[in-house]
Amino acid sequence: MITFASFPAPPPEHNAYGGTGRYPDDADEMDIDDGDGLEVLGRKLTSPGEVLTSSHAFMRGHGTFVDNEEVIGSVTGVIERVNKLISVRAIRTRYNAEVGDLVVGRITEVQPRRWKVDANSRQDAVLMLSSVNLPGGVQRRKVESDELQMRTFFEEGDLLVAEVQAFFSDGALSLHTRSLKYGKTLSQLRNGQLVTVPPALIRRLKSHFLSLPCGVDLILGLNGYIWVSKLTKASEQEGEEGFDAEAVYSNRNDDIDDATRAAVSRVSNIIRILAAHFVPLTDAVILDAYEWAMEQEGDLKDLLSPDVGEALVTAVSAHR
Amino acid sequence: MPRPPSPSIPEKEFLFTSLKESLRLDGRQPLEMRAPILTFGPDLGWVECAFGKTRVLAQLDAKMVKPTPERPLEGLITIHSEISPMASSEYEPGRPSDEEVNMTRMLDKILRRSDAIDKESLCVLAGQRVWHLRLTIHCLADAGNLLDCACLAGIVAFKHFRRPEVEVVGEEVIVHHPSERAPVPLSMHHTPFCFTFAYFPDQDTPPVLDPSYLEQRISAGLISVALNAQKELCVLQKAGGVPLTQEQVLAVIDIAVNEAVKLDWLVTQRLAEDWKGRKVEVR
Amino acid sequence: MTIDLTPRGTADGSAVITHGLTEVMVDVFGPKEAKLRGQTSHDRALVTVEVGIMPFSTGERRKRNRGDKRILELAATIKQTFEPVIQTALYPRSEISIFVHILQQDGGLLPASINATTLALITAGIPLTDYVTAITCGVYSTNPLLDLNTIEENDIPHLTVASLPRTGKVTLVAMETRLHVERTAVLGIYVRRLIRAAADPTDVTIQEDALTDVIKHRLNIASLLFLWTVATATGDFDNPDVSVRKGP
Repeated sequence: MITFASFPAPPPEHNAYGGTGRYPDDADEMDIDDGDGLEVLGRKLTSPGEVLTSSHAFMRGHGTFVDNEEVIGSVTGVIERVNKLISVRAIRTRYNAEVGDLVVGRITEVQPRRWKVDANSRQDAVLMLSSVNLPGGVQRRKVESDELQMRTFFEEGDLLVAEVQAFFSDGALSLHTRSLKYGKTLSQLRNGQLVTVPPALIRRLKSHFLSLPCGVDLILGLNGYIWVSKLTKASEQEGEEGFDAEAVYSNRNDDIDDATRAAVSRVSNIIRILAAHFVPLTDAVILDAYEWAMEQEGDLKDLLSPDVGEALVTAVSAHR
Repeated sequence: MPRPPSPSIPEKEFLFTSLKESLRLDGRQPLEMRAPILTFGPDLGWVECAFGKTRVLAQLDAKMVKPTPERPLEGLITIHSEISPMASSEYEPGRPSDEEVNMTRMLDKILRRSDAIDKESLCVLAGQRVWHLRLTIHCLADAGNLLDCACLAGIVAFKHFRRPEVEVVGEEVIVHHPSERAPVPLSMHHTPFCFTFAYFPDQDTPPVLDPSYLEQRISAGLISVALNAQKELCVLQKAGGVPLTQEQVLAVIDIAVNEAVKLDWLVTQRLAEDWKGRKVEVR
Repeated sequence: MTIDLTPRGTADGSAVITHGLTEVMVDVFGPKEAKLRGQTSHDRALVTVEVGIMPFSTGERRKRNRGDKRILELAATIKQTFEPVIQTALYPRSEISIFVHILQQDGGLLPASINATTLALITAGIPLTDYVTAITCGVYSTNPLLDLNTIEENDIPHLTVASLPRTGKVTLVAMETRLHVERTAVLGIYVRRLIRAAADPTDVTIQEDALTDVIKHRLNIASLLFLWTVATATGDFDNPDVSVRKGP
């Protein structure tokens, strides 16, 4: 009576749904110490309105609510348990930020002393003027003239990479681009392409700045925005005092040769395919996939055909 | 333009607490309606209905038109209702508000689609001439429950209205002026009345019938029941809002059944009184 | 009845549902930055609903403008149905927009839209207190009918009910045709049974670790109601076979 059409099914050998999250080991952990009447956890997945457990024995976490002394799930996803805290992590959702996350965002609005940044979150994030590096040294005071020329740093539509600094009381994000780590990199993004994937696919890595050997730089924003760009040469990276604002906050692309363009597109396509098959993205996976793609010797756009895509995913998951 | 803020928090709290104890600000019982006051204008089909300070004017007129090709044997009924800023400063001119959409649709369902008026009796000459009834609802003041008030005004206007007598000789239609021949009332199948109940976010607060303006603003869901004195449900509408149990819904219908009988009696009474006063003029 | 939950385009959640020939597609965006900042509220998310009826959805090709009262009513109804169910308090100052596209209509427009919206919200990972499941129920003399098509809808008195399976409460009731109260009560009892059936914690346990199964399982809402029709339409109304309770 009910038939389901084309729900993206993961290849059976790799547990995409259970293990995509940022805490890949939770599922096993849960099984270790049940036995105090939480049979439902054996089920792992839940959906809205499903009673999980009694609210006396457990505390409710994200994705749950309490009604009639019962903890009830409110999203479809994986049940997670940390001691007495029960939460449900949704399978597909918008980006839920944590402090310290690296995100890629896009300026949507310039406001007095702040920029609004679309970071795939529930609200636009805020980047304060005081949270960016300005020409003339890191510790420089912001003066009125800076306020007047905010658009010379970032204007509407610009892309940037930033770190989550804090939350406002209503849940909005506050970003910053000051830390030394990013001082080296230009926070303004150019010479590349943006790929958007579900945020759950980006795992927390040691570094979210990847340089692939094919001359492609990759920034994996935890919010699901991925910046694929031409390799930035070390000499071009800014770290010195008093850098030139024109160069740092420029949104003009450099000249990009055809080979680089092809490489950038190939990497972008690979990421799109992996995302379409709900494969979590790590540096290893992307590298494997890139190597596989190079072996195929096909045309760049062949990658996007469903057959090749599937072959790629099988190859990559078999590799691990 | 920012909308004016909803009732202030202390006001809300006060009302919630009193409603919880079954007290209403105007001294009514939770399931008590404001007594409708019907005033008839000089013309037939001109009715003003007031529920407390809520006032609606309904006016009905008829003209002869060519019927639609799909339904050559049926008269036409159109209902114009617009909530202008006159009713309350809440309403803005131009874009229809949710309240207006809801009212228009409900009036359409209750008065037109429930077959209250015998549309075939409005046919004068098949495919050639039918009566087109046009009901215009003017919302004069909104002090809560505009829908029920408008619905009552509308249905009474239909009952109050008299259309001129017509005579068909061959292909020719003769319309007699009211001074020549007494105009005839519309043939009606039944008279539906609408009752709106408001529910509140707190489960223990009893529902109220005929909510006042404030009660309506702070309510968490409305349920409208339209039925006639013969216990026939015409429209039952609860568009979202706080979830109810089946029993609650059925209980509401029971209350409405009783109210409909009372209201029907009142309307008949008032119409008879008015008609008595008019007969003198007609000679 | 078919359900398709494939993610489409940039929508955060989307669902296509068909009830017979009725086909409804719903896309959900959000929670996201509100477009109209003036309408946002500091303590909860704004829910906006837009309904589009495709000109090709009926036999007669006809374009409806967006100001059509019928469309506005449908949108307002969906909005009011979901506002109390979505946990809007979790997303202050944000907006959740729901776009309902009616691709084909053959009766049961409102229930199909509501069911599709529920699924789309779930795939978007938006917290709900419960599923909202809707069905149309008609009564022909004493025979109840479920999920009427256009022809039946035109002639048979019917009732549309949206319920929350967990509590068995109804959030939406709509009836537009004349029906005696006593007969409504019959319909009411019938619908009540349906709701109880939907709320019944079915003993279907999830074996596989996949989302589809959860949704299938929890979709007993619709499937149960559907199976129930078969049971009642073909058999005894008073003693419907309860064995239909097994999931799909």
